[in-house]
Amino acid sequence: MIEIRKFTGRSLAARLSSIVVSLAALIFVAALTYLFLESRRTVKREAIEHATQLLDNTVMRVNNILDNCIIAADNVDWLVYRHLDDPDAMYDLGRNVLLNNPELHGCSISFRPDFFPEKGRYYSIFSFVENGTVYSEQEGDDEYQYFYMDWYQLPRLLNQPCWTEPYMDVDQQTQSAEMVTSYCKPLIGDDGEFIGSLSVDLSLAWLSETISSVKPYPHSYSVVLGRGGTYLVHPDPERLLYQTIFTETLVNPNPAVSDLGHAMVNGEEGMCQIVIDGVKNYVFYKPVKTTSWSVAIVCPEKDIFGGFGHLQRIVLAIVFVGLLLTFIGCTKLISRELIPLRRLADQTDTIAAGRFNEPLPEPRHDDEIGQLTRSFGNMQSSLVTYIDELTETTASQERIEGELRIAREIQMAMVPRVFPPFPNRKEIDLYASMTPAKEVGGDLYDYLIIRNTLYFCVGDVSGKGVPGSLVMAVTRNVFRVILHQIISPAKVARVINETVAADNEQMMFMTMFIGAIDLETGRMEFCNCGHNPPVVFPDGKARFMDIKPNTPLGVDADWEFEGEVIEDIRETPFLFYTDGLNEAENHVHAQFGNDRILKVLNAAPFVSAQETIKRMETALAAFVDGAEASDDLTMLCLKISKKA
Amino acid sequence: MFKKLLSLTLFLVPWLLCAQDHTFVFTPQWTTQAQFAGYYVAQEKGFYEEEGVKVQIVHPSASQSAAERIRTGQSQATTLTLAQALEVIDKGTPLVNILQTSMNNGLVIVSRRGKDPLKQHGARVGIWNAGFGQMAICLNEIEHLGYEWVRFVDNVTLFVSGALDATLAMSYNEYYQLLQTGMELTEENVYRFRNHGYNVQEDGVYMTLDAYRRQKEDAERFARASRHGWEWAAAHPEETLDIVMEYVRRDHIATNRVLQGLMLEEILRLQIDRESGEREFRLRPDMVGLASSLMTRCGMLKRPITYEEMIVR
Repeated sequence: MIEIRKFTGRSLAARLSSIVVSLAALIFVAALTYLFLESRRTVKREAIEHATQLLDNTVMRVNNILDNCIIAADNVDWLVYRHLDDPDAMYDLGRNVLLNNPELHGCSISFRPDFFPEKGRYYSIFSFVENGTVYSEQEGDDEYQYFYMDWYQLPRLLNQPCWTEPYMDVDQQTQSAEMVTSYCKPLIGDDGEFIGSLSVDLSLAWLSETISSVKPYPHSYSVVLGRGGTYLVHPDPERLLYQTIFTETLVNPNPAVSDLGHAMVNGEEGMCQIVIDGVKNYVFYKPVKTTSWSVAIVCPEKDIFGGFGHLQRIVLAIVFVGLLLTFIGCTKLISRELIPLRRLADQTDTIAAGRFNEPLPEPRHDDEIGQLTRSFGNMQSSLVTYIDELTETTASQERIEGELRIAREIQMAMVPRVFPPFPNRKEIDLYASMTPAKEVGGDLYDYLIIRNTLYFCVGDVSGKGVPGSLVMAVTRNVFRVILHQIISPAKVARVINETVAADNEQMMFMTMFIGAIDLETGRMEFCNCGHNPPVVFPDGKARFMDIKPNTPLGVDADWEFEGEVIEDIRETPFLFYTDGLNEAENHVHAQFGNDRILKVLNAAPFVSAQETIKRMETALAAFVDGAEASDDLTMLCLKISKKA
Repeated sequence: MFKKLLSLTLFLVPWLLCAQDHTFVFTPQWTTQAQFAGYYVAQEKGFYEEEGVKVQIVHPSASQSAAERIRTGQSQATTLTLAQALEVIDKGTPLVNILQTSMNNGLVIVSRRGKDPLKQHGARVGIWNAGFGQMAICLNEIEHLGYEWVRFVDNVTLFVSGALDATLAMSYNEYYQLLQTGMELTEENVYRFRNHGYNVQEDGVYMTLDAYRRQKEDAERFARASRHGWEWAAAHPEETLDIVMEYVRRDHIATNRVLQGLMLEEILRLQIDRESGEREFRLRPDMVGLASSLMTRCGMLKRPITYEEMIVR
């Protein structure tokens, strides 16, 4: 089953064929089930009618046979009465019965003990046929006291004609036995007393032969039950006389057989289904009215439905083979129809491998597959065009990216990146980092020592990328140049402001913190141009500096920048940064924030400027957790120590 | 040629198959059937031969009873019911019981469905022509039932045909024949003598006193081998049934394995003494006394017959 599923899973043709065949099978099953059930019902009905008719005929034949016996007896009994004064006449009477009725096995005219005083106690004339000759003999004697026999006792006790149960008539000389049943009539004297019995014997073998010829089906057979369920006719000679229909039920109770037996014995008419010797049979039974016998025709179910079953098997075989051929045919047909699709699939693989100009197979028909091929062709040409354009664009972008890489290197080269920056000035602990959000950025930092004063700045140009980087480059150069002429950070700010504001059509501006620290005294003069307030963080006490904000550079060319002074900043660490730090966002757009900056700085005592920057970078990376940076980030940490 | 009837074939054997040489002729009192299984087993298994006695089993004829055969010397031993034996003794032929197999009475009266046999006064009741109905005759006398006895030869046809109101039957034979006709037998329509003060032993093996004296040694050997046969039959019922069926087939008896099987079971049951629960193989003095008393009271015996008369030590 798994293999079949795998096969149909791989093959569209097999799958479609399976669906078609399954649907067809479903329809066939429904139609055939109905057909078979209806046919079976019809066959059964006809079988019942057929068997019932045969049973009626059989019963009629039995009745005819029995009637002949009754007539034979009736034809002679008045003669017996007429010759009661001549006992020897009984020999001829009995002989004549057999001569006139060759189907009879024997005839007895028997009288009660001592009825004919001259004949002694016993007088029973038995006529029989031997080798074609009819003989009559007196059979009663001390050894054979006939008046205890059923055929004598029954008419006497019942005082009416009756049939005996079957019994064995044994030929004493040959020891051969014939199973017979007798029709017995009581002989009544003038005084109303029983004087004897007249009986005619019917061979059950002959009766059986006559009835057994009735066979509606090859293995069907007829059964005649006598009073008490005795088998009078049965195909199995072992059962005749020896068994009744109830015998087996004594040790193996079988309610179906018992019920059938009682129904037959009680003279009912009907039909039933029973299992006999492991074979299912339909039994049709009917009583023989003149006796207490019952005739049954036993028809094996396989005989009744044999032809039907054969037809059923053939039809099922045809359907099965038909469905199989349909499956194979459908699979082949669909496979053939799918060849263009398969070629298209192969061609698609080729195109997927990069050979975009590979020609598609020409569609043979204007069907769905043809339309698909044409659509695919259109898609292929669009794809080729797109790929060409993409190739060109990619090449252009790669060139720009290359240039930007160079620009980045140039920009990064513009800021000092060697730490420690002043190896000979041990009192200066300074570390800075700059990370553009794009290839190049608009942040800057710078520092240099002129006249024993450490000048430094941290700035952030509005906008990022190439425009920002250009402003940054200009600003950095101006910063460096004017420091040789101007000492005050406020004045430096004014000069840069004027430079940036001039011809500022792009409305670019920048924030900046400019500081100048007298390394001798630790006095720091600074000017904040709209920049984030720096953080001063003596151990565990980080705080933002409360400083004048002024305005960003480039906004107002006439702005009077005001500087401020801290007399001695020695031994106090400072962190200068751009808004790429406090406004850095994580995946849920939460900002790193000022509080987190203070928290990081307060988390550990100051070790060095570099360690502080690294610690801040680590905390920031953990916070943004890989989220793309939205702004350039620049940090500068500074601590001036007193000279030893 | 005679018309020799019979729904049950009574097989006629040559009249003068009498003992010749040292053959011990044994006659069961009825036709071949499981009632005599122990003797067939003893014969077939060679128990008689082992005991050194040559036994010939000869069944009685239609008109010549088993009792008649030992009386006339045609057979050395026969089975008889205790009541039959008492009758024979009463008529002047002393008998010796050499083996008792039955310990219980198997006689029943069966009437039609819903009818109590004892409430059918004046009913026509079937009785065997060959005897066996002594206890029923006693019952009829004692209970004043006024039965009209109708003699039959050997089957239940008269009763089944509706010619009789009731019939005597043996619980191991005719009782099952009636069941085999589909008749419903219940405690209501079946009167079992053994349950109503008539539990008189039945089958035993008897010899005339003369014959016994002449062949005492053979008699004892026959009795020992026969007992052995019955014990073997009780231990091997299926094999015993096979032997019985061989015998009934050979003698053309109209019967079947089912009936014979049921008969064997019942016969073996009747051999177990109710009080001891064992197969004792002995004539019980109390039962001889009971049978004698009943039959004397009913005029079937002219004088009481004692246990001691039937046992020769």
